[in-house]
Amino acid sequence: MIWEVFRQEEPGDYHKHCGNVHAPDRDMAKMFAQIQHGRRMKTHSLWVVPQDEVGEVDDQDTAFGGTTDKAYRWATTYNRVDASFAKEVADSEAEQRAAEKKREASSQ
Amino acid sequence: MTDAKTDYAAADDVGEGERQALEALLFRLADDEYVVAERYIEWQIYAPSLESDLALANIAQDEFGHARLWYDLLQEFGRSEEEVLWERDSADFRHSTLVELPFEDGDWADVVVRSYLYDTAERLRLEALANSSYAPIRDRVGKVLSEERYHREHAGNWLERLARKGEHGDETSHRKLEAATERLLPHALSLFEAGPHEADIVEYGFRTRTLEDLREEWLDIVVSFMEGLDLAVPDPDEVERPEEIGRDGSHTDDWFDLYDDFTHTYRELDFEEPIKLRAQGPKEKGAAK
Repeated sequence: MIWEVFRQEEPGDYHKHCGNVHAPDRDMAKMFAQIQHGRRMKTHSLWVVPQDEVGEVDDQDTAFGGTTDKAYRWATTYNRVDASFAKEVADSEAEQRAAEKKREASSQ
Repeated sequence: MTDAKTDYAAADDVGEGERQALEALLFRLADDEYVVAERYIEWQIYAPSLESDLALANIAQDEFGHARLWYDLLQEFGRSEEEVLWERDSADFRHSTLVELPFEDGDWADVVVRSYLYDTAERLRLEALANSSYAPIRDRVGKVLSEERYHREHAGNWLERLARKGEHGDETSHRKLEAATERLLPHALSLFEAGPHEADIVEYGFRTRTLEDLREEWLDIVVSFMEGLDLAVPDPDEVERPEEIGRDGSHTDDWFDLYDDFTHTYRELDFEEPIKLRAQGPKEKGAAK
């Protein structure tokens, strides 16, 4: 049985997928994951999740974000202020600009 | 009761009698850890799965690291690394015969039983060193114990799964565990055999419990756990004990072959001094140097 493994580096971070382990049950999976995925990388916590329990929807199943132009979704479209006064806002805008670029590049 | 023991802060604080007892104690510890790891690494690439291979390799690395901690303390008495390990006479090694035995070919049950018996004893003896009158030993115990928890969990998890017939284990795995127990138990008892200066080790407070006491508690734990898994455990007072007990330098023939193997590269390369990879790695966390 395969268990997908997610590692969290610092308390409060997201658990990020980092690989998997073969193990017959949850306890063995936790035991193996400690060595395989927590030994060399800084680790605060690991999750092990049965692979069968992971639900997936991919771009064959759906058109993520729809197929028509929805440029108005991008908050950057309306942006006329310098966001540097608040780090969260600046970060969020940078993130959106990057995502917008990626999306444009892949649709060409 | 006037039982206040002298406390020894460092190697310079001990007299000749104390030094001999400390060296005897440290060689037992270091040799057990070193040799058990030498045997574990024979499973590299042969373990039943990638995961179990990595887990056992990691345990072996831990044990080598623990051996290093104890050999380092021996070096504080003026011996070199060559003298405590690479160039020591094979008949001067003090490990239990349990750890030197070769594995039956491909018999994972042997690894499971051996490490369960060994790591359970390891915990008890480390706890009996936690209040050692020799500070450098005390200081290292916590660090070692925190890694040993994983070793016991690993052995215990495998043991439970292979012993119980049903979801994971079956008649065959059950039978193999019993065969390994029958083979290993007589040797495991040598973990608690006295070696040189045993009375002094306790008298000076270097270890705070006697070997008989540790043996009794160890048997209580392992026999009840294994019988709880429906595994037949031979009566420890009835089993035929091997002549070799390890602790006095007597060993099975397999030890001398293993010694030749692990010193082979050292002798062949003929370096001026042993190479220490550890010294190049990142600094370790924790109190002990």
